[in-house]
Amino acid sequence: MNSKRVYRIKDRSPIFTVIVYTVMFFVLLVCTLPFLYIIAMSFSSSDAILKGKVSLFPVDFSVEAYRQIFAYPHFFRAYKNTILYTVCGTAISLVLMVLFAYPLSKTRLKGQKFVMKLVVFSMFFSGGMIPNYLLISSLGLTGTVFAMILPFAINQFNLIILVNFFKSIPEELEEAARIDGLNYFGILIQILLPLSTAALATIGLYTAVFFWNDWFYGLIYLNSELFPVMLLLRNIVNGTTMVGEAGGVGDKASVAIAVKSAVILTSTLPIILLYPFLQKYFVKGMLVGAVKG
Amino acid sequence: MKPNKNKGRIVLPSARRRYINNYWQLYAMMLVPLLYFLLFKYVPMFGNILAFRRYKPLTGPFGVSWVGFRYFNMFLKDEGFIRAFKNTLTLSSMNLIINFPIPIIFALLLNEVHNLKFKKLIQTFSYMPRFISTVVVISILTELLSPSSGVLNRLLQDTFGLQPIYYMNEPDYFRSLYIITDMWQYTGWSAIVYLAAITGINAELFEAARIDGANRRQQILYVTIPTIMPTVMVMFILKVGHLLSLGFEKVLLMYTPANSTVSDIIDTYVYRMGFQSSANQYSYATAIGLFSGIIGLILVSGANYLSRRLTGESVY
Repeated sequence: MNSKRVYRIKDRSPIFTVIVYTVMFFVLLVCTLPFLYIIAMSFSSSDAILKGKVSLFPVDFSVEAYRQIFAYPHFFRAYKNTILYTVCGTAISLVLMVLFAYPLSKTRLKGQKFVMKLVVFSMFFSGGMIPNYLLISSLGLTGTVFAMILPFAINQFNLIILVNFFKSIPEELEEAARIDGLNYFGILIQILLPLSTAALATIGLYTAVFFWNDWFYGLIYLNSELFPVMLLLRNIVNGTTMVGEAGGVGDKASVAIAVKSAVILTSTLPIILLYPFLQKYFVKGMLVGAVKG
Repeated sequence: MKPNKNKGRIVLPSARRRYINNYWQLYAMMLVPLLYFLLFKYVPMFGNILAFRRYKPLTGPFGVSWVGFRYFNMFLKDEGFIRAFKNTLTLSSMNLIINFPIPIIFALLLNEVHNLKFKKLIQTFSYMPRFISTVVVISILTELLSPSSGVLNRLLQDTFGLQPIYYMNEPDYFRSLYIITDMWQYTGWSAIVYLAAITGINAELFEAARIDGANRRQQILYVTIPTIMPTVMVMFILKVGHLLSLGFEKVLLMYTPANSTVSDIIDTYVYRMGFQSSANQYSYATAIGLFSGIIGLILVSGANYLSRRLTGESVY
C-alpha cells in the first residue's frame, strides 16, 4: 500500500480526529462509570454514603456490606441455584441442539426443509406467556428446578447458527469417514465436534448468559427457595426482600444501599470477569447469526 | 418382488430401503430434540386456542368450552388494553427513532479510530452492557437516580439547588429512561453489524475518493454511507417488524403503579391480567397475547417481504 502513504497527508484533519476521540472517550466513560459507582458504594462505610460523599471512589473503605451478604443464607442459596440452572441448562441445551442441528444441516434429508420451516416460524409466532405457563404447570414442572431448565433448552437462533456451521464443514471429510466405516453418530462425535469447538463455545456462552441473567421465569414458575440470584436481587432492590439488618431507618438505610450495591456486583461478577476473554466468541456468533440462514 | 426370479442375481435393495439404511441414524438422532421442540414451542402455540375457550382450573391448558370471540370483544372495549396498546406503539416508535441511528453513527466514528488498541478497548467496553442482566441494569439505574442517595439528585441539588426527584416513579421520565438504558445496553452491540459492513467495503473505493480529493468527512458521506445503505435498510425494516415487541422484562422491572399511565404496555397488561388479577383471567390474557402475536407476525412478514422487494435481501 504505497499509495496510502502519498495521500495520507490529505486525510489528516485534526478537528475530525479530536471529535472522534472525544466521542469515544465519552462512550468509554458512560460504559464504565456506572460500575465504578456501584463498586464505590459497595466498599464505602454507611456513614460516608449517608452524608452523600461517595461518587466514584470508596470513602472510608469498608467490607461491611459484603460481610452482611455473605452472612445472609438466602444469598448463597440463590447463587447456588443460579449456578445449577446455568450449568445444567447449558449442558442439556448443547446436547439437544447438537443432536438437532446435525441432521438439519443435511439438506438432502427428507423432511429437513419442513422442520427448518417449523423452527423459523416458531421464532416469529409463539404461544404467549399464558399458554406457556399453563403447559409448564400441567406438565407438573412449576415449583421444580426443571421449570427453569427444560423449556429453554432449544433456542432457535442458536440452533440456526449451529446448523449453518455444520453446513460449512466440507462434505468430503464425512465421506472419507463413512468409507472408513464410521456411522453418523461416530462422525458427529469423532470428526465434527472436535472441529466445532468455536461454534459450540459461542452458542454455549449465549445460552449460559441467558440462564445466568434470567429472573422472570423464576418469578412465575418458582417459590422462593428455588429463586435464582437475579430474582433475589430484584426483590432486594424493589424492597420485597430485606437483607440482614438492612431496611431500617437512618444508619441502617444506608447499609441497605451498600448491601444492594454489593449484591449487584457479586451477582454479575462472573459475567464481567469472563466476558473480556470470551468476547471474540460472542462477536463471531453475532456475525454468523446475521448471515442469512 | 418374487425371490425365485432373482435367483443368481445380486439383489439390490429398493431405493426406499437404501434411503432408510443410509439415513435412519440421522432421524434417530433428531427424534428426541424434535419431540422436545414440538412440546415446548408448538404445544403452547396451539394453546392459543384458549383465547376462544373458557378456562377452568385443573382441567389442562386448553380450556373447557368454546366462547368464540367473546374475549376479543371484551378487550377491544377495555380502556386498560387500549392504553397499553397506545403506550406500546408510542414507546417503541420513540425508541426506534432515537436508538436506530445511534449505532450507525457509533460504527462510523469507531471506524475512524485508527489506534487499534484503543479501538479494541472501546469495542470491549461498549459490547459488555449487552451481557449484563436487565435486573442489574435497572438496579444500577435505581441507585443512580435514588432521591435520597443517588448521585444525580445529589449533583443537581448541590449545583443548582434543585429538589430531589424520584425519577423511577415519575411518568414523565419513564420513556426517556427506557430509551437511555436501551441506548446504554445495545448501542455497541448493534454497531457490530454496521462495522462488519464497513470493513467489507472495497478499499479501492476509498482510494479513488482520495485521489479525487475527498477528505475523511466526504469519504464517509459519499462512500461509506451509500455502501452500507442496504444493510441499514434491512436492519430498519426488521426493527419495524418488531415494533410490538418491547423489552418486556425491563418494562416490568421499571413498572410502578405511579408511572403505569405510560409504562403499562401490552405485555405487562397480559402479565397483570394473567398472574396478578385476583381471578387469573387466563383466557382473557391469552386473547390479548394472541392478538398482539398475530399483529407482530404480520409486521414481521410484511417487513421481510418489503426487504426482499426493495433490497433483494430477505432475512428469513
